[in-house]
Amino acid sequence: MNNILGIIYSNPSYILITIGIFFLLFIPLITISEFLFFEPFVVFSIYPETMLSFSLIVTLSFFSAFAISMNIYRVKLIKETRKIGSSIIGTLIGVSAGACSCGPIAFSIITTFGTAGSIASSFLTIYEIPIRLISLGILGFVIFVTIKSLSRECKIKS
Amino acid sequence: MANPKKIAVVIVAVILVAAVTISFSSYMSEFNNVQNPSQDEFETISLKGVPILGSTTASVTIVEIGDYQCPACKLWFDNTRQDIIENYIDTGKANLVFIDMPFIGTDSVSAAEATYCANDQGMYWDYHVKLYQFQQHENDGWANPDRLTAIAFDLGLDTEKFNECMSLKKYFSQINFNKQKASTDFGAKSTPTFVIINTSGNIDHLVGPHPYSTFEKLLDSML
Repeated sequence: MNNILGIIYSNPSYILITIGIFFLLFIPLITISEFLFFEPFVVFSIYPETMLSFSLIVTLSFFSAFAISMNIYRVKLIKETRKIGSSIIGTLIGVSAGACSCGPIAFSIITTFGTAGSIASSFLTIYEIPIRLISLGILGFVIFVTIKSLSRECKIKS
Repeated sequence: MANPKKIAVVIVAVILVAAVTISFSSYMSEFNNVQNPSQDEFETISLKGVPILGSTTASVTIVEIGDYQCPACKLWFDNTRQDIIENYIDTGKANLVFIDMPFIGTDSVSAAEATYCANDQGMYWDYHVKLYQFQQHENDGWANPDRLTAIAFDLGLDTEKFNECMSLKKYFSQINFNKQKASTDFGAKSTPTFVIINTSGNIDHLVGPHPYSTFEKLLDSML
């Protein structure tokens, strides 16, 4: 496993892709989840009650960045794209749980779709933690399968 | 010819980036949409009988726009509100007004009405505090009519009067008025939203459950 990671991340462009994807997800997610405020000045704030939610956002962003960058490498190596799709699905599930039920996104959903929007928004808020855990499970599985697959492919190629 | 799987992945990736970008820009546009009310509009709100916490002659007023079922409002209530009360409201520097914007569910409207029914017996703020203390998940029935009566009983209110007020929907139009004010005049598109206004007519706004440090900076600059 270490060998495979060493091979992928010996190329600095994959480290940059990972960091890029991490921040592309992390910054919007902590903003939507109201950990980071840009107005009236930049403020970052975590309350004790939201520590778990924040930790899951960090882990989700990291797993997503890791899974997607590894799969970009895999696509280049063996021209097979199925697992990158799975990692994007895993990321999407995690992201969908991000918006608080009284935030601007939920407000738009509720005012547009009425009761149905309210139920959907409540569901995403109530089950925010389990949804993010499912998302992490999917991403973890994708990372595991990708590493195994790359180990096999690399052996065949060499 | 391009591999269909590759095309599918590219499409999903584009959708992901678009979804994140739209969500993010929707969130950011919130700040541009919040309107600053004029002093006259604020006077109108005061005249409509919205209860005030603190001195009516305080030089700064904090208008909180909230929903009793909103978890972010509870977060602010649990972590920031008390410090503001101790340092600005109890000292007479500022006062606090709560404008209802119930949008999460029907229980949000009932909870808002209940605070005004409690106000008939002089316990608006006590009821307001109890609602946030007892808040559970959205739309799970924690603020249904029976629970609202139980809260009134817990506070020692005359439950007969309270239930009569609730069943007559005495304050339904007041809540609608507040909701209208919050969204139309203050431009609120989420809760909690705060509008901070001083007697010189300076106005600032905050969207979301900001920490005490943000309020401290803003309030000190407005005093």
